[in-house]
Amino acid sequence: MNECLLFCLVAVPLFGSLLLPLLGKAGDQARNIFALVLMLCSLGISCFLLPVIAGDQVLTVSVGGVTLFYADKLAIFMALCSQTLGTIIILYSFGYIAHYEHRNEYYFMVVLFLAAMMGLIFSSNLLWIYFFWEITAICCWRLIGFFREREYVLRADKAFFITIFGALMMLGGFLMVYGQTGTFDLLEIKAYLGRHPGEVIDNTAILFILFGILSKSATLPLHTWLPDAGVAPSPVTALLHAAVLVKIGVYVFARLFVATFTVDGIWWEVVPWIAAASALVSACAALVENDIKRIVAYSTVSQLAFILLGLAVHNEVSVLGGLLYILMHGIAKAGLFLCAGVVEHETHNKDIRRMGGLVKTMPVTAVSFGLCAFSVMGLPPFGGFFSKYMVVNGALESGQVAIGLTFVAGAFLTLAYLLRVYVRVFFGASRAADDGHGAPKEGSPIMVFSVALLAALSLLSGVVIGPSFQFAQEAVRQMMGR
Amino acid sequence: MSTENLMLLAIFLPIVLAVVPLALVKKNALAAGAVAIAASFANLVVVCLAYGKDAALTLPWAGWFFEFTLRNYQFSSFILAAAALFGALLSVYNTVFLKDKAYGWLFHAYFLLTLGFVNGAILADNLLLLLFFWEGLLGLMFGMIYLGHRDAYRTATKAVIIAGVTDLCMMFGIGLAVHLAETATMSQMKVPMEGLGGLAFVLLVIGAISKAGSMPFHTWIPDAATDAPMPFLPFVPAALEKLLGIYLLARVTLDFFKLDGGHWGSMLLMVVGALTINLAVAMALIQKDYKRLLSYHAISQVGYMILGIGTCTPVGVVGGLFHMLNHTIYKCCLFLTSGSVERQAGTTDLRKIGGLGRKMPVTFVLFIIAAAAIAGFPGTNGFFSKELVYDGALERHWIFYAAAVLGSFLTAASFLKLGHAAYLDKGRGDASKVKEAPAAMLVPGIVLAALCLAFGAGNAFPLHNFIQPVLGDALHGHDYSGFHFKLVLVGGSVAALLLAFANHYFGAKSKGSGLAAVDHIHYAPGLHQIYDAAEKRFFDPYDWARNVGKAVAYVGFGIDRAIDFFFNKVVVFVAGGISGTIRALHNGSHATYLAWTLAGLVIVIVACMAGRL
Repeated sequence: MNECLLFCLVAVPLFGSLLLPLLGKAGDQARNIFALVLMLCSLGISCFLLPVIAGDQVLTVSVGGVTLFYADKLAIFMALCSQTLGTIIILYSFGYIAHYEHRNEYYFMVVLFLAAMMGLIFSSNLLWIYFFWEITAICCWRLIGFFREREYVLRADKAFFITIFGALMMLGGFLMVYGQTGTFDLLEIKAYLGRHPGEVIDNTAILFILFGILSKSATLPLHTWLPDAGVAPSPVTALLHAAVLVKIGVYVFARLFVATFTVDGIWWEVVPWIAAASALVSACAALVENDIKRIVAYSTVSQLAFILLGLAVHNEVSVLGGLLYILMHGIAKAGLFLCAGVVEHETHNKDIRRMGGLVKTMPVTAVSFGLCAFSVMGLPPFGGFFSKYMVVNGALESGQVAIGLTFVAGAFLTLAYLLRVYVRVFFGASRAADDGHGAPKEGSPIMVFSVALLAALSLLSGVVIGPSFQFAQEAVRQMMGR
Repeated sequence: MSTENLMLLAIFLPIVLAVVPLALVKKNALAAGAVAIAASFANLVVVCLAYGKDAALTLPWAGWFFEFTLRNYQFSSFILAAAALFGALLSVYNTVFLKDKAYGWLFHAYFLLTLGFVNGAILADNLLLLLFFWEGLLGLMFGMIYLGHRDAYRTATKAVIIAGVTDLCMMFGIGLAVHLAETATMSQMKVPMEGLGGLAFVLLVIGAISKAGSMPFHTWIPDAATDAPMPFLPFVPAALEKLLGIYLLARVTLDFFKLDGGHWGSMLLMVVGALTINLAVAMALIQKDYKRLLSYHAISQVGYMILGIGTCTPVGVVGGLFHMLNHTIYKCCLFLTSGSVERQAGTTDLRKIGGLGRKMPVTFVLFIIAAAAIAGFPGTNGFFSKELVYDGALERHWIFYAAAVLGSFLTAASFLKLGHAAYLDKGRGDASKVKEAPAAMLVPGIVLAALCLAFGAGNAFPLHNFIQPVLGDALHGHDYSGFHFKLVLVGGSVAALLLAFANHYFGAKSKGSGLAAVDHIHYAPGLHQIYDAAEKRFFDPYDWARNVGKAVAYVGFGIDRAIDFFFNKVVVFVAGGISGTIRALHNGSHATYLAWTLAGLVIVIVACMAGRL
């Protein structure tokens, strides 16, 4: 029964997404509601499986002796994060995308995207991971180029090429792992390494897989496709950046490098420095940029580096911080993107130099943006406080004081660029040129509800930190075998 | 009710009641003010009931070192009581001051949230819980300052960035301290000063003194004096942040690190303290705005507290803590007089007011008492705490004592100027319609002024009940109450005051105005240029950091653009070149394709042969 549910968790949205364009022919409302139902269904199954994986229990789905899916605490944690945000984003899309063309394709791609993410999360096999990884890349390509203009399509191509390049490198790495262990199955690889104490996965394979991870998680130097992807419609940007796409990379890092492989210790020193460079360079770019979506996108690159740091420092504290960061950043950054979407939608402008004073006309969006920004900055009582503290202190636990200090510098910059964008957009006098659209007003009720919900979740995730913290802690113990 | 429950009430009562002003359908400042008064006085009752009772409480929170552990003991309950007293008095004052302001309801909500968070930080016995409440004040600070006026967000941003950066330093310091001590429980924390411990000490001190408003983390305070709503000033920079910052500084130096006088940490604190006293008061001297002048004094006076605690002598530490209490009392009172002047005269610009002494006699008397206290006039509370700090400073080195006395001279000089300009000079604006402030705004000031006198003549009460028990056995039975100071110290203080009177008399007489009474110092050769540069913000570390930050940001942005150029241009160019070459070779000529085939055949044969060999 539970195995069947796990299968449905992936299959329902995956195959259901195919019906969306057909339903769209019948009517927008039917398609929209069906998309929401698909996500709620997937989310409901994840919640149902929570008690099933209590303790050290895991759940596997096998077909013909081959393990397809594997659910442990890490997978459920990640699935819940993505599904919750995906559901809110679909809700927001009802208002945002209603006036654009190609809505059938939009909902099809978004739900397929989320389904592929579920498939990837629960994959118990390197090839399945690659398969779902590529589906997300294709969806991402279509969604970034959603508006069809030449410039947008070129940017979609750029994202596609960089992530596909990374994916092919990663596939090469997977083949090397197969060559070494004789299997693609994650559990069997882990068992193989358990039988051969002292043996580590070949460094070349690790390097190749890292290429894939860094390209998908938009980490320096493979990050520049992400700010360019800001041309996508806002819900898509939020989806790409905060909830799903960029988290795929760090999830696979956690799944492979932390939970499955035994790797050479040098990687626990090299990857944090890559992350540090990525955090600083992208934060600097966020301080200079003037396009609100690009700023938030650079912020994502910078914050992803914090997640990568947490996972790469490789101790219980830091990995716990990394997992919490995935949750807290996902909520808050989705909120920021959706707020940016409301602002863009209403002002027809993305340049923060031509904004200002919007707090008067868009108070809910302004407050929501502020709350989400405070969470990304890591201020209490928001959830971001806990994850930032854990990640930075994870570095201390490993004796990497210099890395810790570098990330504190990254946190300074986060504070600076987020405050800059916040006050420029929402405070002071309006600097908008009269473009004939009239004074901007608050977004549609469903859009405003979505951003307010994410802001409330950012606050709630900090005020009621216990359950998520303890679940993540158990997930870390399970991953690290402690 | 048990002390444990009282501790919880002290934190959650103001926070929960803060929701009421937010939830009001009609945003009524007066109704919100009534809620703030009720909550603040209830909070005062709660902390009074818990006063001095030892209690500890641990509740489930997150996990790892994140433990919701509270502790009520002598020191924390004293700070808590002081914060509650100021909260209660200010809630009354604010309700009147804000009753016609559109943002009043929101300010009251922030006020209560701040009170709850401060109580949380004081009661926390877990460093991470303290950090949670401590850093949580940042957002509230932004919220309160930006309410001032349309462009006050600039100052709010500056305040949050300065406080945020120092809080992040403190966060790292806490991380190091917890890592080294292997506990986050404050009552059990012992951190060595060597190696990383030294770094942890510095970072924790940065967090503490920044919260207290010390140099070089002070520059948002004078800006807030002009931009933030007036009630913010006595509440946050004058009272709560001083209490919180000095409380943590004392905990860090006395409890966590057991600092002794021979350590570089002690010297560092004394230097920061001495510099803060004099540089800030030197800036206060030339100010032409009532609130801005007071704000520089709010910075300067922190120097005495840091100097006192930094001496690591019992008398200095007692003096530093006593001065913290006294400062919050008289500085609050002074800010309240500035608020009354702002409300009644419409401005605090000293160039536009004057002669208010007759129009606002009660406010004037309150000003005189509080100004005498801050100047260290014998008999007032400020005199006694400063004498103790002088004693400790002289014990360490005469240069610190000299710096402290110089600060006293300048403090007295600037308050003589302020009082003369605002209350005694001929009116520079239309003061005919100015009336005394409403009684509800005067009562809190009267209570505070009375405390200035009571804690002076009766200094034994606060010293015996609040301050000395904090140090316990470290005092070795010494009692610092009463009036038994060394003659040389008292002589120095009195001399500084007499010199300040002489300076004022000379300056006011020669310029014909109280406002210009220190112009001979302001425009003295050498000083004039430095003051001009300071007024143009050349010495603002925030601006320096911003410029450095901008330069660094452009370097980072350049790296990012270079990478983007590589993908957008170089990769495209190389790929285009390769595909163009291949396309050129596919020219439709059979001869070319035959040559390709032959070349391929040769390569295969060579490869096979190489394989056999």
